[in-house]
Amino acid sequence: MLGLNLPVVIVLAAIGGVLAWRRANTLTWLLYTWVALWAFFKYGFAVPIPQSVATIYLGITGLALVCFASSSRERLSETVQPIVRLILEPRYRLALAGLLVALPALAAYNVYADLNVPLEAPGFGREVHPPPPTEMTVHDETVDMATAENPYLHYKHDDPELYGEHLENGRRVYYENCFWCHGDGMGGDGMFAHGLNPVPSNFNDVGTLPILQSSFVHWRIAKGAPGLPGAGTPWDSMMPAWEKFLTTEEMWDVNLFIYDFNGYEPRALGQH
Amino acid sequence: MTLHATRRAQAMATVAAAALLLALPAGAQVDLGTEEQRAAGKVVYDKYCGQCHGDTGDGNGYATPRVKPKPRDFTTGTYKFRTTPNGMLPTDDDLRRVIEIGAPYTSMPGWPNLTSAEIQNVIYYIKSFSPDFENPDRYGEPIEIPRPLESTEESIARGRVVYEEQGCAACHGEVGRGDGPSAPTLVNDKGDPIKVADLTQRWTYRGGATKEDIYRTFSTGLNGTPMPSYADSLEIEDRQHLVNYVYSLGDGDEPNYGTLITAVYSEEPIDLQDGETLDALFEAAPTTRFPLVGQITEPGRNFFPSVTSIEAQAVYNRDEIAFRVRWHDLRADTSGRNSPSLEVPMWDEDNGIGDDAGDDGGDSDDFFGDFGGEEAPAEDDFFGDSGGDDFFGDGGDDFFGAADAGPPGAEFSDAVALQFPASLAPEGTPELKPYFLYGDSQNPVDLWFVNLTYGVADTFRGRGSESIEPTEADIVEAVTSYDQGEWTVTYKRRRSSRAGVSFAEQQYTPLAFSVWDGFNRERGNKRALSSWFYVYTEPSVQAATTFPIVRAAVIVLVLELLVVFLVRRRARQKAAGEEAAGTTLATTEAPAV
Repeated sequence: MLGLNLPVVIVLAAIGGVLAWRRANTLTWLLYTWVALWAFFKYGFAVPIPQSVATIYLGITGLALVCFASSSRERLSETVQPIVRLILEPRYRLALAGLLVALPALAAYNVYADLNVPLEAPGFGREVHPPPPTEMTVHDETVDMATAENPYLHYKHDDPELYGEHLENGRRVYYENCFWCHGDGMGGDGMFAHGLNPVPSNFNDVGTLPILQSSFVHWRIAKGAPGLPGAGTPWDSMMPAWEKFLTTEEMWDVNLFIYDFNGYEPRALGQH
Repeated sequence: MTLHATRRAQAMATVAAAALLLALPAGAQVDLGTEEQRAAGKVVYDKYCGQCHGDTGDGNGYATPRVKPKPRDFTTGTYKFRTTPNGMLPTDDDLRRVIEIGAPYTSMPGWPNLTSAEIQNVIYYIKSFSPDFENPDRYGEPIEIPRPLESTEESIARGRVVYEEQGCAACHGEVGRGDGPSAPTLVNDKGDPIKVADLTQRWTYRGGATKEDIYRTFSTGLNGTPMPSYADSLEIEDRQHLVNYVYSLGDGDEPNYGTLITAVYSEEPIDLQDGETLDALFEAAPTTRFPLVGQITEPGRNFFPSVTSIEAQAVYNRDEIAFRVRWHDLRADTSGRNSPSLEVPMWDEDNGIGDDAGDDGGDSDDFFGDFGGEEAPAEDDFFGDSGGDDFFGDGGDDFFGAADAGPPGAEFSDAVALQFPASLAPEGTPELKPYFLYGDSQNPVDLWFVNLTYGVADTFRGRGSESIEPTEADIVEAVTSYDQGEWTVTYKRRRSSRAGVSFAEQQYTPLAFSVWDGFNRERGNKRALSSWFYVYTEPSVQAATTFPIVRAAVIVLVLELLVVFLVRRRARQKAAGEEAAGTTLATTEAPAV
C-alpha cells in the first residue's frame, strides 16, 4: 500500500513513541531522526528508491540537525551534555572504550564493503518505444504508419463471426511462434525470457498495447529487432522480423489477438 | 426400543460411518464438480490452456509440434507429478500444484494470475476429459512424505549405495548429469523422446526441487515415463538417504545466472597441453553461469534446445587470454558434421514432429524457394563426409525412419562457439554492439567455433546469418574433453589482434555463446545461444585493499581521541578555575537533560 513497507514504518514510529514516552534527550532525538530517516529510505519502500536521492536527503537532514543543535549556546550545551558526561564520568569508562573501538571498526567495514562490490556488466539506457518510421514496406506493400489500422478490427462490430475466425488464426500464430518469449499469459515471461536482454514486452501491461496504435505493433511484428532505430538497441533484441515467416494477414491476425486477449483496444488514430 | 438402545444404535452408526471414512483414502471421493464449475473451468481452459493441451484436452494444441516435452494429454488420465501410488490418478492438490507453479524448464508456466476457485474449476474441467476420473478404482491414497533426514555424511554415503544398487546411473549417469547409457534411448508411453533429469541442476527438476518433491518422485514414480516408483523396492529410510544423496549432487538451489566473466591475471604461461597447470590456473578464476535459449529469430529455429546453461571462466597473462566453457550433454556426439552456417530445412525446426512438415502454410515453400537451391556450405565439401546432396536428398526420410528404429544417429556433432565483436564500439557509443545473432553487415562478429568431432578451433567472421565466412586472421587454439556428461572446452588466443578484438586490461568486452547438441540435430542456426554478456579483464596489479581500510579506521580513531582529549582538558581547566574560586566539581554532575 502506498508503495511503503508498512512493518518498517510501524517499527520506526514505535521507536519514536518510546523515545517520547521516556522523554529522551535532545541528542537521542537528533540521532533518532537521522537514523530513522536512513532506515526509512533503505527499507521503508516496497520499491527501492535511488541511492543518490537518499544520499541527498540524508545530507540535507544532517546539516539541518547540526544547525538545529547549534542554533543557541544553551541548546548546543544541552545537546553535547551526554557526550561530555560519557567522556568524563568514570562509570561510563567501559562504554567510552567500546565506542572508541566500535566507530573505527564501523568505518573500516564501510570501506571494506565499498571495495568488495561485485562487478557488474555495464548497463545502458534503451528506448522502449522508439519513434517508428513514417512508412514501411511489408511484403511489397507500402504501409503508411500514421493512417494504417488493423484491417480486421472493424469486423468486431460488422461481422463477429469473421472477427472470430481472424482471432482464432491469430491465436494459432501466437502459440506457434510468440509464447516462448512473450509467455502463455502474455506477461513477457515465456520460457526463454530469462535468457534475453532486453526482456520481452509484457502485453498485460497498460503501458504497452493500449498506448500504441495497431500500426506501431504491426511495425514491431513485421520488422522485429533489425528494424529498430539505434536508440532501441536493435543488436540486443531477439524479436524476429516476422515478415520472414508470416503472411501479412497472419501478422494482422496475431496483432488482433494480442489486443483481444488482454481486453485492450489499439490507440485510435490521432488520439494522444 | 428403549431410549438407551436408540442412542447406542446412533452412536454405533456414527462410529461405523467414521470408520468407513477413515478406511477410504482421503482423495478417493470421486469429485467431478458441478456442471457450473466445469463450465466455468472451460472458459479459463479455453483461454489459457487449450493452445498447448488442445481444445479437446488431447495434448494436441497449436504449440504442440514445437514444444518438448509434449503438453499433457488429459484424455489418458496419465499424470507424472502425483502424491498417489504408481499408476493412480493425481489428487486435486497434485494438479493444483502444477497449475500454480508450473514445471520448470518446460513450456508449462505457473499461473499465479488465476484465483483458487478458477484453478479448482479448471481441475474439474480437466478431469472431465478422461473417464478414469469416474472410476473409484483408479484413486489411490496419497503417500505420506516424512520430514527429510538430516543430511549427514553417513546418510549421503548410504544414499550413494542405494543409487548404485538401484541402477539410477543407467539413466541419470554416474554423477547425475543425465548422461547414463540409456539416456539417449528413453521415450514416454506415447513414444516421444524424453530427457532424463540432470540431477546436478536442481532448478531444472520438472517436478520441483525440494527434498519433499524428490522423495515424492522416488515414491510414486512418474506415470507414463521410464521413471519407476521405488515404493515397493526401497524402505522409507533408504528413500530418504537417496534424497540426501541426490540433493548432494546438486550445484545449488538456483542457477545464479550472471552477466559477466572476470578474467583473472596470472604470471604463469598458459599451456593448453599441460592439463594440470591449466586446471590450477582456472581454479583461481571465478565461474559464471549464463542462460542459453533456443535460437528462434532466424530460419533454422530451435524451439527446444537441449542445453539450458553454460559455465564460463577466463584467465590471461601478459600475452595471451584463455577461456574455459563447460556444459552438460547426455552424449558426446563426435562423429557427425557441424558448422555455424549449416543449412537447416524448415521441416526440421520441429524435428518433423508436426504432420505439416512439408506443408507449413505458404511460407515454408517460400523458404525452400529462397534457400533450398543454395550450395551446401563449404565446410561439408572441405571435410568430404556426408555432403549437402545427401542431406537435402533423403535426410528427412532417414530421420523419420530412424525415429522408429531408436535414437537418432550422430548425423551432427556437438559444437560450441564463443562470439566477440570484430571491433569494440567507438568512444561515446559504448552500447553499440553487432547484432547478437552472428553480427550484421556494418558490425561483424568473430566466432571461435569448435566442432567436437575435431576438437580444434576454427574462426569465422559473421556478418549476419547468411554471411559467415572462415577467417584465418588470428590463431585460436582449443582443447576439449568429455567426462561424465560434461563437455569442457578451453580456448587460447593472443590478447592483441590486428583483425579482431584485442583484450586490454580493465576492458569490458562483449561476448556471447552458442552450443550445438548433435543428438538433438542442432547445427547451423538451430542452436542454443545466449544474449551478449561481457568478459572483464581484471587489472593485473590489484590495488591494495588493506591500506584504505586501516586508514579509515585510524582517521576515525584519531578524531575520537582528539575529542576526548579536548573535552577532558576543558573539564580540567574548568575544575582548576572553579577550585581556585572555592567551588566544587559537582556542577558537572548535575543532570542537564
